[in-house]
Amino acid sequence: MIGAFNLKKYFPVRGGVVGTQYLKAVDNVTLTVRRGEVVGVVGESGSGKSTLGRMLIRLLEPTGGEILFDAPEEEMVKYREALESGDKESAEMISRKYSLLRKKGSELRKLRTRMSMVFQDPYSSLDPRFRILDVIMEPMISTGYLRGEEARKKALDLLEEVGLPRAFGNRYPHELSGGQRQRVAIARALSTDPELVILDEPTSALDVSVQAQILNLLKEFRRRKNITMVLITHNIAVVSYMADRVAVMYSGRLMEIGDKDDVLTRPKHPYTMALISSVPRPRPGEARKRIVLKGDPPNLLSPPRGCVFHPRCPMAFHECGWTAEEVAEDINYLVQGKYYNVFGDNVKVIPLQDKVKVEGANPESIKKVLEVERENIRSLTAVKEVTEDSLLIIHAFQEPKLYKESERRSVSCLLYR
Amino acid sequence: MEERTEEGKYSNLILSLKVFFSNRTAVAGMVIFLAYVVDALIMQFDPRLLGVTNPNQFTYNFVNPVPQPPSSQYPLGTTYPGINLLQAILEAIRVDLGYSMLIVVGGAVIGAVVGILAAYVGGYLDELLMRFTDIFFSVPYLVLAIAVGFALGRSFTSMVIALIIVWWPIYARYTRSLTLSIKESVFVEAAKAAGASMVRIMFKHILPNTLPPVVVQISLDLGSVVGVFATLAFIGFIPNANTPELGYLASLGLNYVQSAPWTVIFPGLAITLFALSVNLMGDGLRDVIDPRRRS
Ligand SMILES: Nc1ncnc2c1ncn2[C@@H]1O[C@H](COP(=O)(O)OP(=O)(O)O)[C@@H](O)[C@H]1O
Ligand code: SF4
Ligand SMILES: [Mg+2]
Repeated sequence: MIGAFNLKKYFPVRGGVVGTQYLKAVDNVTLTVRRGEVVGVVGESGSGKSTLGRMLIRLLEPTGGEILFDAPEEEMVKYREALESGDKESAEMISRKYSLLRKKGSELRKLRTRMSMVFQDPYSSLDPRFRILDVIMEPMISTGYLRGEEARKKALDLLEEVGLPRAFGNRYPHELSGGQRQRVAIARALSTDPELVILDEPTSALDVSVQAQILNLLKEFRRRKNITMVLITHNIAVVSYMADRVAVMYSGRLMEIGDKDDVLTRPKHPYTMALISSVPRPRPGEARKRIVLKGDPPNLLSPPRGCVFHPRCPMAFHECGWTAEEVAEDINYLVQGKYYNVFGDNVKVIPLQDKVKVEGANPESIKKVLEVERENIRSLTAVKEVTEDSLLIIHAFQEPKLYKESERRSVSCLLYR
Repeated sequence: MEERTEEGKYSNLILSLKVFFSNRTAVAGMVIFLAYVVDALIMQFDPRLLGVTNPNQFTYNFVNPVPQPPSSQYPLGTTYPGINLLQAILEAIRVDLGYSMLIVVGGAVIGAVVGILAAYVGGYLDELLMRFTDIFFSVPYLVLAIAVGFALGRSFTSMVIALIIVWWPIYARYTRSLTLSIKESVFVEAAKAAGASMVRIMFKHILPNTLPPVVVQISLDLGSVVGVFATLAFIGFIPNANTPELGYLASLGLNYVQSAPWTVIFPGLAITLFALSVNLMGDGLRDVIDPRRRS
């Protein structure tokens, strides 16, 4: 149905002294959605889910990458292979045929009948000066899908389908509750009988009691109309209830993608494991060990090198992208604290280019400390060797790609190379 | 949460009225403003109701031209040449109110269109408009109005045009800033996702949402414009062939101001009272449209 390939969105951020920097809201995301399928996109707030969703229906222009719309499964696979093997010619041929990004003007307007979006906050997504009927008719009228009396009739029918009385057509949004407004937003999104609907946190602004009703409504539509959905949410329970497949995002990147049950019960990526372990389990007896991540999500202006997750990853190892600064910081912490007795006052830890200089310390004692602390402080795994003059050499790193873990599962972690 | 709203249909209107009527000074302002409007309408359509035969001219009395103090026959006294001040003020309100409305609404319409275009289209157009309005803002508007008036010729019509030219940039700036915030709203994004064209978004979504604050601004500005207009007439910048106008009316008693101060005070009061009333009313309206103040 739709496929994103190496999709990027870098927002320019004007900085004072440093000049313009780029905030990498979405970076190199590749994701395909089959017809009739519901793909859940999960991740913490700020991980780029909404930005991805907005690019998929062209509310935001990507900085790079490609989106293919309505391409058959085989073409998408071919496109991906062409990209991987650097076969520009075949990629260009497929792009020309299916690229959503190359659509303009009336062609794009026509496509807008085939895809739509439901936004997170139904209090701001409906124009306060529009009557409900006009809200629902807007996509039909703007795209010329239906006009006049036909559009009116369809809008009234839709009101009924989303479980609201027809009389609501003459009301204004402020006269409706949050749940009712979200029903209106859903009616609007379905008014041109789209094949693809992007749902950006469709329930997270609503009362808990209303959330289930809205999810059931969506499920019902999906069953009746075979609509393809991309369901964006930070709530694993919502994904677990609605989705066929799950994509996990972290810091603008795709960490893992696979069938829902597979991902939720057997997470492969260390981040997914932590994410799922934080969800309370339905059966208390089955409580699993909770993995608490240290630190915060990274600054998107200068994300960590290598694997973006490495500073927080409990399984990170020498190739994950450690820098001399990171290693120096942790060693300094040990030298000044726990091992103060061993090293004393006169030790200086200086990060250099891919090396860390430890002045005033015996290389043998450093080696011993590294040996002991390696298990807990993952950055220490990156020390390749300690030279005679106490220079710590840092390992070369690798940027993880999306590795195929099994037929229907891909993981962006070096452990699955 | 799902069940309310049977009675909700007019709830917003009722709430708005409640907010407005709980503000006593705003209500007083509105009553005075409406009194001016009613007076203007009577003078326009049936002046005989107030005992006036020709509202387009002051009625002179050369038999007794020297200003007389207020009395039972002339409640506000008379001004040179023997004009009944009360009647003259009642006649003049129509002219001042009419021209001021024309100026403010004209300025608001032009300003709103330009402001929305600049903010929505952005780029060069926006830059150009902002520099242009900067120039307007850096010159005192009375000076600017006089300059434009000289260029266009000194008559009521050209003064109206001059003041519209002076006034629209304020509205352009104001709607521009309103538009900049509205265009970031999710419902505009939803309209884009629905395939709405730029023109449709500007005029169907953004314009209607800028209207309430602009209407408040209009009511606040009405007071200043009446003042400016009357000032220009008072200093004799608009040549007047006996047209009932408050500034001109005040200027008639100027030679007698020491012996007969009422000749200037009463027309001046009529202007001040109007300016005050629209300001009070505008403040009340601002409360109505500001959601933070209506809990
Ligand atoms: N228009 C924008 N300009 C600058 N930064 C943005 C913009 N939109 C989103 N961002 C930033 O991009 C990152 C991802 O945002 P978003 O896609 O909304 O995440 P999510 O939906 O997962 O919470 C955030 O850091 C956010 O601040
Ligand atoms: S590549 Fe895998 S192991 Fe290494 S930091 Fe990233 S998630 Fe952790
Ligand atoms: Mg979001």
